[in-house]
Amino acid sequence: MKKLLLSLTIIAAGFAANAQELALDQNPNYKVSMDKYLAVQTSPVTTMNTTVQDTYKAYDWRTAKDEKKAERRAERRENRLFNNYNNRYYDPYNNNRNYYGRPNQYNNYNGWRW
Amino acid sequence: MKSIFTLLTLSAFLVLASCSHKVSRIDPAETPDISGTWNNTDSRLTAEAMINQSMTDKWLSEYVQAKGKKPVVIVGMVTNKSHEHIEAETFMADLEKSFITTSKVGLVQSGKKREEMRSEKADQQTNATVSTLKKFGLEKGADYILQGSINSIVDSYKRKKTVTYQINLELTDIQTNEVVWIGDKKIAKYVKN
Repeated sequence: MKKLLLSLTIIAAGFAANAQELALDQNPNYKVSMDKYLAVQTSPVTTMNTTVQDTYKAYDWRTAKDEKKAERRAERRENRLFNNYNNRYYDPYNNNRNYYGRPNQYNNYNGWRW
Repeated sequence: MKSIFTLLTLSAFLVLASCSHKVSRIDPAETPDISGTWNNTDSRLTAEAMINQSMTDKWLSEYVQAKGKKPVVIVGMVTNKSHEHIEAETFMADLEKSFITTSKVGLVQSGKKREEMRSEKADQQTNATVSTLKKFGLEKGADYILQGSINSIVDSYKRKKTVTYQINLELTDIQTNEVVWIGDKKIAKYVKN
């Protein structure tokens, strides 16, 4: 009987202590949320006191024009390089030989034409 | 012949002078607009507006009246959702400075700087003398968190463009989630190329 009374007292004291922890009007389930956010506590630290850059690209007529121009230029250059390599041919009549059949010293032609 | 030589020398000097790289100091308060993008003047105007609004708004007097002490603020995140790269720290630092210089608002460290503080404290636990080491668990808890956002609206056609920036700062009660103050600054620009 004594033991039962003691354990009941301990349980009651525990409840009382728990009840004392709650502030006025505090949600009794606050611990659920507290435990959840304590587990991820370190994640906001990296963004605090910083500027998170979440920018978008605004349409600007001038920038768009410049970009299109640069794109066309790059495309033309790429095509030129590709086509030149594939469309080259050997010109036997202009193979960088002078009148005497010796290599022309004034340019680097080797007979391959673009 | 002599005059031609002088003229040539002078013109050569002028050509060389125009090609040279030149740097000069200017007053930070009078930064000229060059490209039309966000610049120092915008940052300064935002800082001035935010300082003025936050220091004169009723949230401060109400807190002091209710609690009998100055509020403590922690700086949170500012999200830049505009079309340009804007670093909010330039005007946020001015605002933080005003909190401290006016002694009306307390400020606690946040983010990576706070982590560094704690790291230093941890280091002191094993390396500093007992009389000088700083203890854990004695930091000042902030009453409010300052968060913000930067937005922009761009309207452009051919060589004309209007850009409107809207900077918002919000002060929220950490205990109750109640927003007690919202500061805003709108900057509109007309750019003609």
